[in-house]
Amino acid sequence: MGDPHVLSRFAAGDEDAVRTIYRTYGRLVFAIAYKVLGDRELAEDATQQAFLQAWRAAASFEPSKELGPWLATIARRAAIDVYRREARHAHSPLEDADPAASGLVSLPPSVDRVYDAWQVRQALSELSPNDADLVRLQHMEGFTHSQIAERLNIPVGTVKSRSFRAHRRLAGLLGHLRGNDPAGSASSQPRIGTGGQR
Amino acid sequence: MTDEERISYLAGDYAGGPGSLDPADAEELDELRTLLADPAMWEVPGQHLEDTVVATVTSAASRETGDDRSDPVASARRAAGGEIPRRARRRSRRSVVAWAAGAAAAAAIAIAIAIGVTSGTGTPATTFSAALSGTPLAPGATGQATLTQTTAGWNVTLHVSGLPRLDNGRFYQAWLKNAAGILVPIGTFNQSGNVTLWSGVPPTQYPTITVTRQQANGNQASSGQRVLVGHAHSTS
Repeated sequence: MGDPHVLSRFAAGDEDAVRTIYRTYGRLVFAIAYKVLGDRELAEDATQQAFLQAWRAAASFEPSKELGPWLATIARRAAIDVYRREARHAHSPLEDADPAASGLVSLPPSVDRVYDAWQVRQALSELSPNDADLVRLQHMEGFTHSQIAERLNIPVGTVKSRSFRAHRRLAGLLGHLRGNDPAGSASSQPRIGTGGQR
Repeated sequence: MTDEERISYLAGDYAGGPGSLDPADAEELDELRTLLADPAMWEVPGQHLEDTVVATVTSAASRETGDDRSDPVASARRAAGGEIPRRARRRSRRSVVAWAAGAAAAAAIAIAIAIGVTSGTGTPATTFSAALSGTPLAPGATGQATLTQTTAGWNVTLHVSGLPRLDNGRFYQAWLKNAAGILVPIGTFNQSGNVTLWSGVPPTQYPTITVTRQQANGNQASSGQRVLVGHAHSTS
């Protein structure tokens, strides 16, 4: 984030610092909340709560640690709180929720699973928009290479080479993270990733 | 299995087929593929969320500071303990035990005096806040509500943006809703901006805040045309 004092300013409720930390980690916190809850509105609600809880706990944060994993834990906890609240009042705020939203009908993901998601999301954010779009089409939309070629109006061979390049980049990013231990504990090690570390 | 083969498998272009993979490799790569297929990896929050988060944290922080400045009990504590901000004082209380002895005694005397003077009015107000998101009827609308308990009821300050002005008998109406779906009206307004509303029911029991479009046609019920919705949380 550039400013070594941003966390202390965040703890003091400084608007610029809150904005800086949100811009750095907001999407990641939201992704974790969305993963737990499977609902956009509830995930935004949990994100708001996560940052409020982070502010309240900021004074106890150990500055030598990475902020990301700490926020990930808070985000998961905030999302579970929202999940429990909604479960208690399931006939009200959930009335408009998508019944297929897995987070609402199953146990919340584990800390490890959430941390994996955190890192994959972070790696995806470092891909170029074109590469990220290709990976999204392939995995989330479930398109084949041929379908992607048709959609993007490019040859299948180009899709395959771009896909390989994008996944190699992604694997490299996750491999780098795999060798790192940002939270300073063995349990925070990501369990997934390919390339470069074997 | 080489890294190139792993990447090919991940990219959906592995000629060997799943059966030729090492089971541990396959499990790990399939786990990653599952994550990549998860909408949570791709969904992005609304642009309003940044402002909502910033408003929530800074308002909570300013309330904490404001409590110290306006609350005579806190002022007495500060006078006894020096000009140490509340959060910093919490930290030093953990690490500097000796500080507590003299200061706590002085603070106790000062607090007792302050409580006597204020007859118990030094308790910080109970507050809730809520981030409101626009519904498909008003996707660009956002809102931030702060609910403060008073002796008269709950004062609700609502900052709304992105709602066009309604006139000629049309207006916006805010509601609190409980788990059973019972709606309690808390006020009406015409357009975006800062709005003051009042509620006679607590957000602890009616935590959902909604704003609907209404028409003055003699029907007092909600039109069901929700433009904003959010959930109140305690910030006290």
